[in-house]
Amino acid sequence: MALDLSLNRYADVPYEEKERLFNEVKQDMRYEEYLYGCYECGICVAACPSARFYDFSPRKIAQTMAREDVETFYILLNDSIWDCSQCFSCDRCPRQNSPGGIITLMREVAVKNGLASAQQALEGYGRIVYKIMSTGTQVSPDMLQPNAFPDWGPHVKEISDNLDLWRKALPPETLHTTETGWQVSDKTIIELYLIWHYTGVMDMIKEVDEGLFMILADVMEERLEEEGYDVTFD
Amino acid sequence: MPEQSVLIVGGGPAGMEAARGVADLGYKAILVEKRSRLGGTPDEAHYAALTPDFRSAEEAMKEMADAVQNHPNVELHLNSTVTAASGSVGDFEITLKNAKGSEKVKAGAVIIATGFTHFDPGRETQQYGYYEFDDVITLVDLEKMLKAHKVVRPSNGQPPKRLCFIQCVGSRDRQIGNEYCSKVCCGIASKEAIEVRQQLPDCKVFIFYIDMRMYGYWESQIYWPAQEKYKVNYIKGIATEVLKKGDQLIVRGEDATFGRPMEVPMDIVVLSVGMEPSAGTKEMAKIFGLETNKYNFIETIGGALNTVTTSKEGVFACGACTGPADLEDSISSASAAALKAVSILRKTAQAA
Repeated sequence: MALDLSLNRYADVPYEEKERLFNEVKQDMRYEEYLYGCYECGICVAACPSARFYDFSPRKIAQTMAREDVETFYILLNDSIWDCSQCFSCDRCPRQNSPGGIITLMREVAVKNGLASAQQALEGYGRIVYKIMSTGTQVSPDMLQPNAFPDWGPHVKEISDNLDLWRKALPPETLHTTETGWQVSDKTIIELYLIWHYTGVMDMIKEVDEGLFMILADVMEERLEEEGYDVTFD
Repeated sequence: MPEQSVLIVGGGPAGMEAARGVADLGYKAILVEKRSRLGGTPDEAHYAALTPDFRSAEEAMKEMADAVQNHPNVELHLNSTVTAASGSVGDFEITLKNAKGSEKVKAGAVIIATGFTHFDPGRETQQYGYYEFDDVITLVDLEKMLKAHKVVRPSNGQPPKRLCFIQCVGSRDRQIGNEYCSKVCCGIASKEAIEVRQQLPDCKVFIFYIDMRMYGYWESQIYWPAQEKYKVNYIKGIATEVLKKGDQLIVRGEDATFGRPMEVPMDIVVLSVGMEPSAGTKEMAKIFGLETNKYNFIETIGGALNTVTTSKEGVFACGACTGPADLEDSISSASAAALKAVSILRKTAQAA
């Protein structure tokens, strides 16, 4: 068997394709407020929590974009941008750049174009994305499974066995739920589904996770139909 | 009665401003210039636009020259050089030489404004190949091309696709002996970079630097627009050498903030040459017996509070003959020199 020594975790593409992705980031209407020029001073790196733990530098993001270095942009697009926690500590830039904001735009481009790195980065979040998009709440009590969270200790099993009862013991009635984090009104859910539809979020999901897209489409289409909306996700 | 006139040596921006200052204060200004016209280095070296305001150098120098040439209190000596001087404050006798011969003139005070010369990049920094490769040029050479709106590779007459500046050539270098910063090259390179991008929008422009020294308003007047509007690439790291491969130049250096060595092809390499004292400055220091510093610029002895007084009473110096100076510095020190020269005339007259 041939040994792959390239160490490439993503496919190389022609320069024109890299340039197209680069221009897609630049053409976003937010771009001009996220990047002015870069001193390469490192104040953003000094403030960045991710930079302490990963080989990650918000400075390199800003300076690569400022230099219009398309080759390095493509490398960062496939790797570094997923190391950012989007905390925006980097917004203290003297030139008023927002490396975190640039990363937001780059991530959106990576997702919209179905880049392998976007798929990999979101792989572990399928359940969370499903939960948020279908219920509007991020983590629900029924996601609490003893084998999934060993670090939470032995009492997790006891709690998960009697989840419904534990939840009912909570004072706010809105938290007497197990399938959602809290009660979500019908009106909110319908509005949420329509937002996913009209803003193209479902198109992004389709690019990165076809299976998740099909499950969500089924759930949403049925619910919207019940409410009298004729919406088809495709 | 002591002489009530001031002799100014050098018809560049500083000399013209000093002469106008003396004349406006009601005293006679004798302005001596070795060339056939006023305007100094900006005129002689065909500067295109001034730093930092992009005003036409030709127009600005003409405005200054007109103010002097038409002034009733200015006596102009073109095509003339100072060959000897004697006497002391209130009573100098200066020998001028021109095509017709020599003449002696009297003056109560003297202002030296003989300026600088551009560092010769072939002198010590052969690694950049200024005399070896046609497409390695200086800020001065590019200035001339910009003025003619014809920025092309000298080797083949084609417009460049990639052009870079290498900063601090002949400045801030212990090996060369010029330990000082020439002060203006960061601004001028950035200004020229903007002009290249304006004239050739398809040409990528890079500036390799140690520190960008864009003090005061130059920061937002030149540096930020160059980077933000004109997409000039500033790369921290000075090139160690320029090589040639085929018909392209290769610049070797470090991309310091990215932490990686770099070998990049260029069509034109512009050396940001600094300032050294002009031949005239060195000559005037000898003729008037002025102290100079280790770089042969004329030494001013008043520290930060007096930038124009030299070691010889009654002789003042202004502009770039005392050290690297931009136009703003030169004009300011010229006015200061005019004021101090006239003051000393008045004091010696009162004492007499």
